[in-house]
Amino acid sequence: MTAPILRLQGVEQIYTSRNANGPGWNTVRAVDGVDLDVREGETLAVVGESGSGKSTLAKLLLMLNKPTAGDVQFRGMSLAKLKLAERQAYRRQVQAVFQDPASSLNPRMTVERMLGFIVRRHDLAPAAGTRSFLAGHLAAVGLDEGYLDRYPHQLSGGQQQRIAIARAMMLRPKIIIADEPLSSLDVSVQAQVLDLMRDLHRTTNVGFVIISHDLGAMQAIADRTAVMYRGRIVEIGDAIYTRPHHPYTRLLLDARLSLDPRRGRIRAMSALPPRPDVTAASSGGCKFRNRCAEAIDICAKSDPMLRPVGTGGTLAACHRAEEIGAAASAGAPQTTTI
Amino acid sequence: MTAQPILLDVRDLKVHLRVGPVLVKAIDGVDFQVRHGECVGIVGESGSGKSTMARAVTRLMPNVAIGELSGDLKFEGRDILAMPDRELRSLRRGRGFSMIFQDPLGYLNPTQRIGRQIEEALSRDDAAGSDKARVHALLDEVGLPDPVNLARRYPHELSGGQRQRVMIAIALASGPQLLFADEPTTALDATVQLQVLQTLYRLHRERNMAMAIITHDLGVVAELCDRVYVMRGGKVIETADTVSLFEAPRHDYSRRLIELSARHHNQEARA
Repeated sequence: MTAPILRLQGVEQIYTSRNANGPGWNTVRAVDGVDLDVREGETLAVVGESGSGKSTLAKLLLMLNKPTAGDVQFRGMSLAKLKLAERQAYRRQVQAVFQDPASSLNPRMTVERMLGFIVRRHDLAPAAGTRSFLAGHLAAVGLDEGYLDRYPHQLSGGQQQRIAIARAMMLRPKIIIADEPLSSLDVSVQAQVLDLMRDLHRTTNVGFVIISHDLGAMQAIADRTAVMYRGRIVEIGDAIYTRPHHPYTRLLLDARLSLDPRRGRIRAMSALPPRPDVTAASSGGCKFRNRCAEAIDICAKSDPMLRPVGTGGTLAACHRAEEIGAAASAGAPQTTTI
Repeated sequence: MTAQPILLDVRDLKVHLRVGPVLVKAIDGVDFQVRHGECVGIVGESGSGKSTMARAVTRLMPNVAIGELSGDLKFEGRDILAMPDRELRSLRRGRGFSMIFQDPLGYLNPTQRIGRQIEEALSRDDAAGSDKARVHALLDEVGLPDPVNLARRYPHELSGGQRQRVMIAIALASGPQLLFADEPTTALDATVQLQVLQTLYRLHRERNMAMAIITHDLGVVAELCDRVYVMRGGKVIETADTVSLFEAPRHDYSRRLIELSARHHNQEARA
């Protein structure tokens, strides 16, 4: 087992905003007590619906947010207490790729000029060799030297995202935090970018933390997947797609559309049960119980903690995880109401 | 299904746009039909012209410099392109066609209550009950709870799924025979997407309303549509009923799209 390069310990992030309709303040617990180890060289996916806190998690890992409580550590050192040299090492080794490549590239600079700044800042190559250095890094993401002279608007979305990945890779990072790197791309381009990430992982052993709402793509690339719901990790493991132990994971898996027109699940469904109001404040107990078809008495009384379930090293935060996992592996008909 | 008469008949549609000095052939000779009560899918990647086609057919293209807009567009036998604005308006206001979009917030007025925005779109010809009652009935029909309270809310107070349902209610207010849905669930979470698609399908069946769904997601097509048009580079490269397209695609590009989607939806073992 490799040592964790990044570690979250009891991390909370509370956002506060003025109440729009009257006096007082609103608080949102975007991240609500998360413990997570990111190991060197692994591809970790973080999935969940919008508002589940997954992007906030990425910001915490990138030191773009300061946690309200808890500790984010880089190789065992608290991010808040890093000395200058350590922080520089952290900034080199932990890189970022964002959702919208167009807005993360400077529209008024050519690719060469933009990336040249980074080369100079980190002294990655001698001035005379900058262009060939950059050309080499573009080649690694499948673009030829000619793209150095282009402006971002002259590139397609997929090419822009490749530039963003090249920019992150130049510093030879140990890990890249990618927040929804695929969601602004077409399916065929998504496949190419996924392949690129897999290649880079194989050739340089760079790890990825990929934030995504797309379970299909993550199943194809992730070593481990963390499922977030309302600021908490409710399940984490390497087999959550085939053997979910948390009803929320199963719900997400069931929500995927079928590609078999003969099955047409939506056509088969007649009445749709209205979704319970998920914003309703649930005092105590499991946060997911209002949407859960499996909820029993204990779920209203006690908040389940993340604990090991099954044999595959999966952790799940559900009182009935064992039964749900067993049902999944037995291939029982899954009747979750969404 | 084939016995149904043709509702929308588009022949040799061309839309060429002037972008600076360049003429972009966004739509270059497209044939497209929708029958009464049918659900048709239009798939393609970004830039394939699928949204432009829907906008051209519904005549919603005021802000772009059009180089050429030609073709034979007939809705119930009436020529859409030659139609005077008044007639077009009456088609949009009653028993004609409506459209919903990917981003509902961009099409809702942030300063007006939901109820008023739906009321504005109500058809005038078959008034049954008061406007308010009709608005509440529409909100109920699209699956929104507590219509009376909801009608008094503003768009920013609603979630993404609720906003899209409000858009659907507005589109239905005129009692359309054909609903164009341009990426109706792309901006929504997967669980919400499934609910909104269920709602669309239920309305399609209950109202016997034809639908044309524009999407890049073959999953949406497989779940909902009877027939599919595959678009690429401003042309329709394949059209088939949904089952044949998925089981025996004739065009290489269609086959590639299906394979990629299958990989994407991960209906294969992990390599």
